Amino acid sequence: MEQFLYYLKVSWVSIKRAPLPYALTIFILSLGLGVFFANATFYYQLNSDPLPHKSDKLFFPMTLMVPNECRDCQPPRVLSYTNVQKLSQTDIPSAKAGMYSADGYLRLDTKQAPTPVSIRITQPDFFKMFEVPLLHGSIWADDKARLELILSKPTAEKMFGRSDVVGEKILLDDRDFTVVAVLDDWQMLPRLYDANNGGQLSEADQVYMPLETGYDFNYMSNRQSHTYDYTDYRQLSTQGRTGALNQLQFWVQLDTEAQQQAYRQFMSNLVADEQKAGRHPSAPNNQLVPMRNIVSYFGGESADIKAFALVTLLFLGVCLFNASHLSLNRYISNQYEFSLRRALGASRGQLQQQMLADVLLMATFCCVCGLLIAWGGVTLLNFLWPANSLFGRWDLTLLLLLLVVTFTTSYLVTLYPSLRASFGGLNQQLKE
Amino acid sequence: MIQLKNLSKIFRTELIETHALRSIELQVNEGEFVALTGPSGSGKSTLLNVLGTLEHFDEGDYLLDGQSVKGLSDSALSKLRNEKIGFIFQGFNLIKDYSLQDNIELPLRYRGIAASERKRRAEQALELVGLAARRDYHPSQLSGGQQQRVAIARAIAGQPRILLADEPTGNLDSLMARQVMELLEKINQDGCTILMVTHDPDQARRAGRQVQIVDGQLSDAAMYDPLAVKRA
Amino acid sequence: MSLHLLIKSLLRRKVVTVLLLVQLAMTLALLVNSLLLAGQTRDKLNEPTGLNLPHTLQVQLKPTTPDLRVYPLLGDLLERQMAAVRALPGVQAVAYANQGPVRHGGNNGNLFDADAEERTNIPTIPQYMVSPDFFAALGLNLVEGQLPVTPIAIDIKTPSPLVLTRSLAEKLFPGRSAIGLKTNRAPVAAVVDDFFGQSEATKETFNMIQVAPLFGVDWGYALLVKTSEGSTEQVRQQLPDLLRQVDANIEVFYVRTLQEQHQQLYSDEFGLATLLGILSGLMLLVAMVSSYSNAHFHALKQQQEIGIKRALGASKQLILLELLSENWLTTAVGAVLGVLCALALNKLLASVISLEALNWWLPLLCSAVLLVCVTVATWYPARIATKVSPATATKTL
Repeated sequence: MEQFLYYLKVSWVSIKRAPLPYALTIFILSLGLGVFFANATFYYQLNSDPLPHKSDKLFFPMTLMVPNECRDCQPPRVLSYTNVQKLSQTDIPSAKAGMYSADGYLRLDTKQAPTPVSIRITQPDFFKMFEVPLLHGSIWADDKARLELILSKPTAEKMFGRSDVVGEKILLDDRDFTVVAVLDDWQMLPRLYDANNGGQLSEADQVYMPLETGYDFNYMSNRQSHTYDYTDYRQLSTQGRTGALNQLQFWVQLDTEAQQQAYRQFMSNLVADEQKAGRHPSAPNNQLVPMRNIVSYFGGESADIKAFALVTLLFLGVCLFNASHLSLNRYISNQYEFSLRRALGASRGQLQQQMLADVLLMATFCCVCGLLIAWGGVTLLNFLWPANSLFGRWDLTLLLLLLVVTFTTSYLVTLYPSLRASFGGLNQQLKE
Repeated sequence: MIQLKNLSKIFRTELIETHALRSIELQVNEGEFVALTGPSGSGKSTLLNVLGTLEHFDEGDYLLDGQSVKGLSDSALSKLRNEKIGFIFQGFNLIKDYSLQDNIELPLRYRGIAASERKRRAEQALELVGLAARRDYHPSQLSGGQQQRVAIARAIAGQPRILLADEPTGNLDSLMARQVMELLEKINQDGCTILMVTHDPDQARRAGRQVQIVDGQLSDAAMYDPLAVKRA
Repeated sequence: MSLHLLIKSLLRRKVVTVLLLVQLAMTLALLVNSLLLAGQTRDKLNEPTGLNLPHTLQVQLKPTTPDLRVYPLLGDLLERQMAAVRALPGVQAVAYANQGPVRHGGNNGNLFDADAEERTNIPTIPQYMVSPDFFAALGLNLVEGQLPVTPIAIDIKTPSPLVLTRSLAEKLFPGRSAIGLKTNRAPVAAVVDDFFGQSEATKETFNMIQVAPLFGVDWGYALLVKTSEGSTEQVRQQLPDLLRQVDANIEVFYVRTLQEQHQQLYSDEFGLATLLGILSGLMLLVAMVSSYSNAHFHALKQQQEIGIKRALGASKQLILLELLSENWLTTAVGAVLGVLCALALNKLLASVISLEALNWWLPLLCSAVLLVCVTVATWYPARIATKVSPATATKTL
């Protein structure tokens, strides 16, 4: 310990001897790290897996079952009600849910001003598949229509001032509903189940309604809908249930390889049968995309973040080169001292320990400055790209990762110069 | 050729003033070989630096070819050095990453001489110091005596009127020192004025004239006597 | 100064030179591409939209109760709202529309010549259902035909006739007048000037408009307000409260000028261009620090050499020039490498975002900027280096 403190002291003295080059090295390295961190934060969060143990077991099935012929087409990214029903008619998946989101207005009575809310219109398995935590009450028992809502905890608290509101009445678009459950705090980020609509970056919905009820009450998707025939989208409860009006997401849980194989087979049988029955003319194109790949399948990766990631990596590279350049210069000007120490009997090992003390000191400075710059960078990124603002958070893993990067870079920046300084010809340097 | 009139130089630090040179009066004629002797710290090297316009002086005047160097701009002084003065240092001061040829060509480059002419003169100079075969060598590949000969070649390649040598044999053994001295004498015979700082009384005696400096002053015994040269 | 001596001097410091070169090359690559992106964004923001962007307001709103979202109450609400807005001083025209112009995507559908579906089908065209004043509110001139004056529903036997923008009419019925011709939706009644509809449409200027009741307002609807030049801001301030006075059961999502809407459309590009710009600035700064420290340490190490050169007759200016030339040479080599890097980065970036190919003058311009920056940064340490006393420097051990 005493020896280590001595090494630190030596580092400090050497910094004090030439503070400007050292400050510049720290500045440049911190700048590179800070900018890199800021972007890495978003990149890491945006590409994180919210359900790592399950993301290869949840699938988004799609088929090209549409009335008009389409050559070399990808299947539509939203499904029609009939197709969801057809894809559901099997026991192969452990869980399955069709769903979409819509806008609505919530209030306790008609005198109150309405509160705009986002509604997820879905089926009971949704909560199981995506591991939504329940605080109070219970989820709908089956897929049937019912005038029952599930609220998120903040919504319950906002409307009623408390969270345990199971059994309370509430008006959604001036229709009477009963609250049957309240969810615990839940924010799946990114919200991969909404990736087909590019909605994975936004917040979770506030109110949950049974799918059949949503169709009965003509709730239109607030994300996207396509009609492939002359279905009137204002008649969801009738035409919407039979026509080619596509607006649904559909997820199935297939736990084993065998289940996945079986479901694929089921899909191709279904499509073949439908084609035989003359219900769609296109050549089959079935997709069963695991949640893990869903964003890239739909091309929903944020191009700007990606482009910027590329550039910040480049910038970090430049800063690394620059900092090592600076520190090389610094070490070279200290070379005489290095040689003198060696002449006085310091082993190369001891000089390397001295170098490690240098690294430690530099990493500490860089960490502090880098995080400050990163914080500024995250703020700036949030300002320029508000869409990603949910993702500008630091968690422990990320911070540890950043710490490792800082130490590695500090080490890299110090390694070559100090090697050069301590392994150079002793004689020649002293003579110089 | 060289005329110093009442020339003084003072080194100032915060605490003390040191009179490095005091009221020096000196005249050197064309073609002379002058040895500057004196104990360490007496001001020999300072005088040589002033003569080479590497250092400024505080009082008096320095006339080179009858023209005062006082108040000349940096570039004018540089031109003067480049064209009229050749230097030989105790530590050789060759640029270690340049080949011998490049080292010798350097002052010619500053004079803006064309490449072919530079090459010719450099070869000639190397010929003279007997190192023509090694022109692509680097200084570190040569012995000390050889390096000093290269330095001499560099000094004379520009055909200077004056050669200033600061203990040119100080770092050399006696055999090599003798070779260097012979070379300098040969150059002097070819008409080049030489001023040489030396510790070695033998070498000083070989010069045409000895000037001694003590405490920044020329000692009386060595005051200039123009007739002495003619008699010799 | 001789080039081969300069190169020799650089080669002697291989590692440092390579570090500097890599860095200069990367800086140039980034600088070139950020300027390219910034220029591209600026071009997009300056592209003609066919609209009076600064003086047209768009209010996006939605009734909060279900009965207000369907006719006849919806029709009544629209009339009351438009009448109130029209009465505001400074308002020249007001119209409802299912969606405003200058957007990414929205409500759209396909359109084809009823006689030639296979050949003429255009898949994605913004579809507007509007009140008759829509054309006045957006300031669109009539090219030919007659603008419909009464709203007719679009889902009946003889639906509301179509108004097409000029480029769409020409695409659908090339070389002939579109008036009276049949499409899969309705016959064409009029052709108006082009305007920017949706960036995700088949073409930005393709638009089809029907003077019709709103088909549905699940996604809200827009009120488009044309104001006189001096009163835009004032009208904008009054709109939300005025509309709530007309009927409290509405949610006003936003009031924007089309100018703001247009900027919003390119906010991602603008953000990226800004970030890259900041980063380029930082990179230039880093390059300057690097040149500075390089010159500084180099000069320190070279004191003796500079002293010798001074003794041999090099003037201060010449030494300065020599030191600067070294940096110029490095910058020039770095710039050449940088152009190659810029091309590579351009390709890489183009694979994730839409980015133009490099032109010839931008790399030149950026190299010049880099050169100036490097020179400025080298100047000071080089000046100090020339002050080395040749007398001291030549006195070695």
